Amino acid sequence: MAEVKKNEEPRIGVFVCHCGTNIAGSIDVKEVMEYARTLPNVIVADDYQYMCSTPGQNKIAEAIDEQKLTGVVVAACSPRLHEPTFRNATKAGGLNPFRFEMANIREQNSWVHMHQPEEATAKAKDAVRIAVAKASLLEDLVPKSVPVEKAAMVVGGGVGGMQAALDLANAGIKTYLVEKSPTIGGRMSQLDKTFPTLDCSQCILTPKMVDVYRNEGIELLTYTEVEQVEGYIGNFDVTLRKKARGVITPEEAEARGIVGGGCTGCGDCVDVCPVIKPNPFELGMAPRKAIYIYHPQVSPLIYTVDFDACVKCGLCVEACGDKKAVDLEMKDELMNVKVGTVVLATGYDIFPIEKKFEWGYKNYDNVITSLEFERLICASGPTGGHLVRPSDGETPKRVAFVLCAGSRDNTGVGKPYCSRFCCMYSLKHAHQIIEKIPGVVPYIFYMDIRSFGKMYEEFYYRIQDEGAKFIRGRVANILEDPVTKNLHVNAEDTLLGRPIDMEVDMVVLAAAVQPTAETEKTRRLFGVSCSQDGWLLEAHPKLNPCGTTTAGVYLAGVCQGPKDIPDTVAQAEGAASAASIPIHRGEVELEPYFAQCIEEKCAGCGLCVNLCPYSALSLVEKDGRTVMQVTEAKCKGCGTCGGFCPGGAIWMQHFATPQIVAQIDAFLLGGEQ
Amino acid sequence: MAVKKDYKDQNLAEKLRDRKYYAPDSNPEFLKEVENIGQTAAHMCYQCGTCTGSCPSAPRSSYRIRLFMRKAVLGLEEECLTDPDLWLCTTCYSCTDRCPRDLAPTDAIMAMRNLAFKRDIVPRNFLQTVQLIYKSGHGVPNNDANRAARKKLGLEEEPETTHKYPEYLPGIRKILDHYRLKENADRILAEGE
Amino acid sequence: MSGNNHQYAFFLGCIAPNRYPGIEAAAIRTSKNVGIDLLPLKGASCCPAPGAFGSIDLNVWYAMAARNVVLAEQMGMDIALVCNGCYKSIWEVNHKLKHNDELRDGVNEVLKEIDMEFKGTVDVWHLAELYYDPEIVGVKKIADSITRPLTGAKIAVHYGCHLMKPGKERHFGDTENPMWIEELVAALGAEPVQYRNKMQCCGAGGGVRGYDLAHALDITNEKMINMQDVGVDAVTEVCPFCQLQFDRGQIEIKEKFGAEYGIPVLHYNELLGLAQGMSPDELALDLHAIDVEPFLKKIL
Repeated sequence: MAEVKKNEEPRIGVFVCHCGTNIAGSIDVKEVMEYARTLPNVIVADDYQYMCSTPGQNKIAEAIDEQKLTGVVVAACSPRLHEPTFRNATKAGGLNPFRFEMANIREQNSWVHMHQPEEATAKAKDAVRIAVAKASLLEDLVPKSVPVEKAAMVVGGGVGGMQAALDLANAGIKTYLVEKSPTIGGRMSQLDKTFPTLDCSQCILTPKMVDVYRNEGIELLTYTEVEQVEGYIGNFDVTLRKKARGVITPEEAEARGIVGGGCTGCGDCVDVCPVIKPNPFELGMAPRKAIYIYHPQVSPLIYTVDFDACVKCGLCVEACGDKKAVDLEMKDELMNVKVGTVVLATGYDIFPIEKKFEWGYKNYDNVITSLEFERLICASGPTGGHLVRPSDGETPKRVAFVLCAGSRDNTGVGKPYCSRFCCMYSLKHAHQIIEKIPGVVPYIFYMDIRSFGKMYEEFYYRIQDEGAKFIRGRVANILEDPVTKNLHVNAEDTLLGRPIDMEVDMVVLAAAVQPTAETEKTRRLFGVSCSQDGWLLEAHPKLNPCGTTTAGVYLAGVCQGPKDIPDTVAQAEGAASAASIPIHRGEVELEPYFAQCIEEKCAGCGLCVNLCPYSALSLVEKDGRTVMQVTEAKCKGCGTCGGFCPGGAIWMQHFATPQIVAQIDAFLLGGEQ
Repeated sequence: MAVKKDYKDQNLAEKLRDRKYYAPDSNPEFLKEVENIGQTAAHMCYQCGTCTGSCPSAPRSSYRIRLFMRKAVLGLEEECLTDPDLWLCTTCYSCTDRCPRDLAPTDAIMAMRNLAFKRDIVPRNFLQTVQLIYKSGHGVPNNDANRAARKKLGLEEEPETTHKYPEYLPGIRKILDHYRLKENADRILAEGE
Repeated sequence: MSGNNHQYAFFLGCIAPNRYPGIEAAAIRTSKNVGIDLLPLKGASCCPAPGAFGSIDLNVWYAMAARNVVLAEQMGMDIALVCNGCYKSIWEVNHKLKHNDELRDGVNEVLKEIDMEFKGTVDVWHLAELYYDPEIVGVKKIADSITRPLTGAKIAVHYGCHLMKPGKERHFGDTENPMWIEELVAALGAEPVQYRNKMQCCGAGGGVRGYDLAHALDITNEKMINMQDVGVDAVTEVCPFCQLQFDRGQIEIKEKFGAEYGIPVLHYNELLGLAQGMSPDELALDLHAIDVEPFLKKIL
C-alpha cells in the first residue's frame, strides 16, 4: 500500500477557472471562489482566466510551495482534457501528482446550464465542496512500470493491415500479421482501378503484398483467426487458430520430412477436383473448385481446401503426387504468441443492400452492386473486363449509378452514416464505362457529391466533362420491365423540380459499407469499444484517432469508420507508429489505481477472484493463511472487487471507501459536517 | 416517353399531363448547340445557383437561369425555347462573372435565344431594331428634335455615321441580307400582326 | 488639334448622338482639354446593339461590329467610345476576332462581299478608361483641367455592366466594388457616394427594356431607391443607354409605379464638361427628362 502520512493536517488549495466565457459566462466564478474559502481544510482559493495557461499552472505550484498544501483542487473542464496538465503543475509544486482532484464545472455544468446562472453557480459550489472533501483524504501514489514485449500483432491483412505490419517490421519490431482468409490483399485486391489517379489497384497492391511476404520481420499468418486474448499493454497473450487449410507449405513439408514437398502453387489439383462452388472473391459470379486460390496474385501462393465443400475423393492428393502438399486430414491448430501492442485492421463488408426492397437487388437481374461492378469491369474478373447485363450478356448503353444506397439512412434498415468513398468510386465507374463502351451514358443519381480528398474535386470535374450525367435526387424505386429486363429508375430531379423516369440497361448500387462480421468478436477479445453503428471506437475522434480506450490496442482503416485507401494507409501508418512507441520505450507506466488487499481483513473467500473481469486476482498462501493477491499490471481499477468484498478487505487506490464516503457526505450534508 | 392521355376534356388533359422527365422526350443535340453557339461548357454546370443568386431579373420574375442551364443539360429544347422567361435576361453578366465553374450562363441564354429565333420565336422589339438598322444604320436613329438640339450645340445635324454618309448603308444591308435577317424580321413581324 | 495629342477614331453609337448630343459635344471638347483628339469615324453604324442583335443571331452581331472596326483599321487608328453597350460590341468582337481564327475567317467571308477585311490592327477603348490611364490622361490631368470644381455635389456612380463584365475577359480588375470612376468623379471636386448594390444592372439591357418595360423599370427602381437612401444630388454613368434608362426611366417609373425620385442623370463627360466650365446649354442638358437644374444650382 502506498505510504500514508499519518495525522497529516489537510491543507487544500482551490483554483477556479473562468475558461474565458465558457465557464464565467454562466457561473459566478468569484462567488464560487469565495465559497471555497469557507470550506474546511481550504487554506487558499483563487481564480484565473485560463488555469491551463502557464500563469495559471504557476499559481498552483506557487501556492503549494508558499502554503505548504497537501492537496489541490482545480474547478475547470473535464479531467479527460486537463487532468494531466494540473497533475504536472501539482508535481512541479513539489506534491505527489495524485494529490490533485478536479471538479468539472464546464462540460457537466456551465455548458449544459447555460441559461440558469444561479443554479449553475450553486452546482459548481457543490462540485468544489465534494472535490475538497476528497482532496483532503488523498494520498501519495506511485505509478507502476511494466516491461513491454518486443513484438506486435496486426489483425487483418488488407491494405491497412499490410501497411501497419510493414511499418512495424521496418521499425525493427517482430510483427504477426493475422488474416482470416487464405491470402492477404483484402478488399483492395477486388478493385479494378483506384480513384482519382486511376492506378490499377492490383498493380499498386501486389508489390506491397510481395513486400509483406518477403519481409523477415513479418510472420504472415493467413487463414488464421484470433481465438483468445489475455494480458494488457506490453504483455498480450494471444491464442490464434490456424484453420485447417488442407495444403502444406514447403516449409511445413520440410518439417514433416517430405524432401522437396509442399505446395508450389502449380494448380494441378484444381484441374482434377470434381467439386464446383461459387467463388466468393468474384462475389459468386465465377466458379471455383473445392481446392482453390482466390486469384493468380495471391500471397502466399498456397492452395486451400474448402472442407465444407470437399468430398474427399482424393483426386487432388493423387495429382499433387510426390510433393505431398495436400493433407485432407488436416485439423485446426492453436498457437500462442506474446505481443506488446496490437493493431486492428479488420476492414468492412458490403451492407446487404437487398434489404432495401425498393431497389430490387437480387430481385432484378440487372441491378448489381458496386463491388460486383468492380469485378465485371476488371480485366482479370469473370467477364474479362466486359461489363455485361446479367440478364442477357448484352453490353449496357445506359447505366444508372445509385449513390447513398443504404447510407445516410435513418430508417433502421440502412446505415445512418456516409460510407464516404462511394461518391468517388461511382465517378470512377462512370469514367470506366465511358472509356470502355462507345456511346454509353452514365447517369449518376446523387444527393451530394462528396469529393473531399486531394484531387477529388478535380476528378469530379473531369468525369462531368467526360459526359457523365448527374441527377440530383435519391432514387425512390426501381422497376423492371418484365420483357426487356430494362430498369426504370424513379427519382426527382430536384434541380429541375420534376419527377424523372430514367429507363436504363443496368443499375449499379453504391451500397453502404458495414463492419465485417468478425469485427464484433475481435473487438470483444481485445476489449475495444464500438460506436452505435458498430465501427470500432477511437480514443478521441480528433486527437487520438488511432488509439483505443484499451492501452496498447490501435486501429487502422475502415474498421474504425468508412475511409478510402489513402486515409486507410495514412491511419495504418499512424497506428503502426503509435503501436511502436511503447515497444521502443521498453516499458509502460500504469496508473496506480490498483486494488490492494488488506491482508489482515481478508478471509480468503475468493469471491472477488471470480468477479474480476481482468483475471487480475488470485488466492495465495501467505504466513499460513489464504489471502487474495492482485497482479497490479492486470488490474484496471474498475472497483468491482472492492465494492463486493464482504469483509471490506480491498482498498481501491485513489477511489478508497473513506474518500468516496467523504465525497457523498460533502454532497448530502451540504458542507455542514 | 411521356404517357399520352387522350382525355376528351382538354382542360383535364392539360391539368393531368404527365410531367415526368423521360430521356427520349429530350434532344441531346440541344446541349451541343447551346455550347457551340454560346461558346461555354454548359454540361459542366453543377447547379450551385450562384447565377440565379446574382441575377437582377430573378427576384422579380420566375426567370431562373440555373434552371435554363439544367434544362440545356437535359436536352429540354422545347421548354427552353418556348419559355417567355428566356427573354428576361438583361445580359448583365453578373452570373458569368461569379460562376465558380467558369461558365458563361449569359452566353448560354444568348445561344438559346439564337436557337429560338431560328424557330421564329423572338419578341417583336428585337425585330424592330433590325428594321431600323436596315433602314438607317442605327437602332436608335436621329429625329428632328435631336437635329435641332445638335445644331444648337454647334454639331452637324447628322452625326458622322451612316446618317451623314448614307453611302455606307448598302454595305450594311448586304451583311444583313447575307443572313436574311431583314427578310425574316419582316416576315415574322407581318405574321404576328 | 494640338500636335502631341493622342488621336482616336470616335465611335459614336446611337443614343449619344441621336438622343443626348451633349455627350458627343462634351466628349470631343473635354477630351481635347486633356490631350485627346477624337476624330470622326465616318460611316459607322449602330455597334450593333449587343442585346438585340446578339440575341437574334450572334453571327450578324460579329459581322456588323467588325465592319465598324474595319472603318477604324482603314483610318489606322484605335477606337475610343463613350457607351458600355458599344464597348461590349466593338471591344468584344474586336477581341474575339483577334483571338479566334475560325470566327475571323467566317466574318471575313461576309465582309468580302462589301470589299472589307478584318485585319486585327487596332484596339478599342472606352474614353473613361483612357481618362483613368496615367499613360494617356490620368486622374491628375483630369483634376488639372477643372476650372469649376463641383464642390459639395454628392454623386452616385453607376458603372453599368458591359464595360467591365465579364471580368475574366476584361482588364479592369475588381468588378464587385471598383472605385476608379469614383476617383475620376472626385477629381472634379465632387463627392462620390457609395450606395447599396452599386454594380447592379440598370435593367435595360438584353432587350428587356423593349420586351418587358415594367420588369426593366422595376430593376431601375431598385437602384433609384438605393441611391435615394444615401441622398445623392446626381447619378453619373459612362453609358448613354443606362443614362436613358435612369433618366427617362424615372418618368416611366412615376407613371407606372407612382414613385418619384428626381435624381438628375449625367454622363461622366457631361459632368467633366460642367467642371471644365462648359455651360448647360453647351451640353444640351435641357434634353434630359429629369430636370438637372437642382444639381446645377448646387454647383454653379
